[in-house]
Amino acid sequence: MKILVVDDFSTMRRIIKNLLRDLGFNNTVEADDGLTALPILQAGGIDFLVTDWNMPGMQGIDLLKAVRADEKLSTIPVLMVTAETKREQIIVAAQAGVNGYVVKPFTAATLKEKIDKIFERIDAQ
Amino acid sequence: MESMNKTVQLEAARALVTALESDNEKAAEHQLTILTQSQESELFHEVGKLTRELHEAMNNFNLDSRLVDLTENGMPNTRERLNYVITTTEEAAHKTLGYIDQTLPLASELKLTAEKIDESWHRFRMREMNADEFRSLSKEIEVYLPEVKQHSEQIHANLSEMMLAQGFQDLTGQVIRQVIDLVEEVEDNLVRLVKIAGQHIESKPKDNKDVDPIKAEGPQINAGDNPNVVNDQDEVDDLLSSLGF
Repeated sequence: MKILVVDDFSTMRRIIKNLLRDLGFNNTVEADDGLTALPILQAGGIDFLVTDWNMPGMQGIDLLKAVRADEKLSTIPVLMVTAETKREQIIVAAQAGVNGYVVKPFTAATLKEKIDKIFERIDAQ
Repeated sequence: MESMNKTVQLEAARALVTALESDNEKAAEHQLTILTQSQESELFHEVGKLTRELHEAMNNFNLDSRLVDLTENGMPNTRERLNYVITTTEEAAHKTLGYIDQTLPLASELKLTAEKIDESWHRFRMREMNADEFRSLSKEIEVYLPEVKQHSEQIHANLSEMMLAQGFQDLTGQVIRQVIDLVEEVEDNLVRLVKIAGQHIESKPKDNKDVDPIKAEGPQINAGDNPNVVNDQDEVDDLLSSLGF
């Protein structure tokens, strides 16, 4: 399981990577916004995308839309981990096909719960 | 107009010289009045022009709604944002220090017991230990091993919490970026203010920015005051499940 972690703050990428490692996901790659994330996704081999929303360059919501619009990437599960908490934003993310939405600051338990839920749903399909 | 003025002035000057040469005092006085009057009217004209320009510039400046908005909303928001940075960094520092306070005694306890057992174990290996002492040593080891497991788990959990607390850097970083943007905007507007002190400014088209409801805003500073903002993960989950998620 290869996971791409996208956040413009290196500290947050490090935190998420460490938490994922605790959950048994050792294979992670990083990108600092949508523009750098897309080529990594298009190169193939990414099984799961964790992305922030508010980033310079390409924002997380646009990255999500780009992923869903790309035939080869459209089925990748996407977890949004963000400080954006407006109702419209959450609704738009859901409509764009996000698989989970975690608000910052978050706990290790929340991250685990959302990831578990995403994979439960995928396994059930 | 200027050339006409010049012709009038030249004529008056020539007439003044002629009048002075011919000792015609009355005529000289008359020509002198013509000369100074034309000078004064030009000065008044220039002052009038400057006044009008300044007036128009000040009007344009007042009309720049962005500057008004910056003063009325931007600045107070910035104050709140910077206070948010202080509170968030303070909380994160206390949280981290709290977990350190909790973790250090766990590590010391493990170390102390390990040292004690190590010493006894050494005596046992040197055959300096009697049966009673050995029974007590094996009891100590029996208690110690699960304690090591328990303490290590607790230390691991505490370290994870300390790691999560570092998320403040992302949250405050987003807010500080917004403050930097605002400072830049205020700076631009001040530069324009300085410029119009001397000349017209091109009246900038007003930003009639359409409000984008999903524009990224970073952490919400006063989430409690805004019904349109969710306050925690539970509310996110509720909203998503109401959407059939």
